[in-house]
Amino acid sequence: MVRLITHNLLACHAKGCTSNNFPLQFKDVQVELREAEFNPDFLRGFIPRLEWGALVDAARQLGDTSLPAEPPEMLDVEFLQKLHHVLLEVHVEEGAMICPNCNHVYPISNGIPNMLLAEHEIG
Amino acid sequence: MPAVQAVTVSTDPQVYEDEHVHSVYDEIAPHFSSTRYKPWPIIAQFLSSLPTGWVGLDSGTGNGKYLPLPQDRPGSVWTIGLDRSRNLLEIAQNAGDIRREVVWGNVLERPWRAGSFDYAISIATIHHLSTPARRKLATQRIIESISPYHGRALIYVWAVEQDELSKRNLPADSSPNNKATDRAPAKGQDVFVPWVLSPQATGKTRAKNAASQNAEETAERSKVFNRYYHMFAQGELRQLVGEAALELGLVVSSPNEMKDGNGDSLIHGLEIVQDGWERSNYYIEIRRWECIS
Repeated sequence: MVRLITHNLLACHAKGCTSNNFPLQFKDVQVELREAEFNPDFLRGFIPRLEWGALVDAARQLGDTSLPAEPPEMLDVEFLQKLHHVLLEVHVEEGAMICPNCNHVYPISNGIPNMLLAEHEIG
Repeated sequence: MPAVQAVTVSTDPQVYEDEHVHSVYDEIAPHFSSTRYKPWPIIAQFLSSLPTGWVGLDSGTGNGKYLPLPQDRPGSVWTIGLDRSRNLLEIAQNAGDIRREVVWGNVLERPWRAGSFDYAISIATIHHLSTPARRKLATQRIIESISPYHGRALIYVWAVEQDELSKRNLPADSSPNNKATDRAPAKGQDVFVPWVLSPQATGKTRAKNAASQNAEETAERSKVFNRYYHMFAQGELRQLVGEAALELGLVVSSPNEMKDGNGDSLIHGLEIVQDGWERSNYYIEIRRWECIS
């Protein structure tokens, strides 16, 4: 699955591609929504680790505009539930992720992103 | 069980691992997975010790058996599984009957933002790489993936020294480099470890009277896959991690030993928290740190 929790960590690693290589842009995606168990303590601990702007952007690409441009100071349950949904319940099953810098295409099939590089693309 | 045999890696290491590691795991994935369900104690302990909210990488996740941990606080941390075998990932994707996050990739590459994980584990993976340089590179990828300020990692590899409970018959080895008492760097041993895929396991058993299936017939139709392993000698894993860290410009020490400077330099380091031998494997736990000295 590429959920946005994973997308927020992935970066292009093709040879020579070391700047502007994050976040990868979604293309031609098929999305499935699946309920996941809500764990507010995990989310509170995890928020400082997120690249927030990249998360908001990626969510918009997938049609979800529920997140504010900046994380709020008060982490109330209503906000945490929105974040939970965006991070952990939206599954990109098919499609691709494209590097904003070098346009390398990382395909997603059956929910699994293919981050392998061909021999000549390895840095 | 067929014996483990010594081998020499002679061809291109990538080609060699494709044949003797990656394609084997793709073929034996379901059978292999059905035998791998029990977490080892030190790994379970490590995952239980992580603060809630941490995100981690399982480099070489296999069937994803560590993705659901810790058992006492499920969902308190999030481990993302990376593996080279697509068929194992299909299994890891639903480890513990919950959808997991898995990525098809190579442990020699780093498809992540640098330092973006709080922790990493690499269990029974690095020993499948067939040269010292590749084992060091995989170790560096793990170090680079975790936070330079607090990142923690646990690495497990197969040991030359096997306990009496191990089912494996090892080749008699006279190489002095495998002895822990040697002053020369420990070298370990390259071997093939057979995996016997019985017809039952492949699901291809013909409808047949069970009485007529004698052992010989079964053996004939079983398929043996030889997996490449580098069995680590005592001290070799610690040495590998030390060299990998030094090459990345890290000081290999505890941050407590760095307090004597005049306070004008920023030091990045890596501490070996513990290392040892457990159930025929060597393990090492590391922690990255930054301090002003």
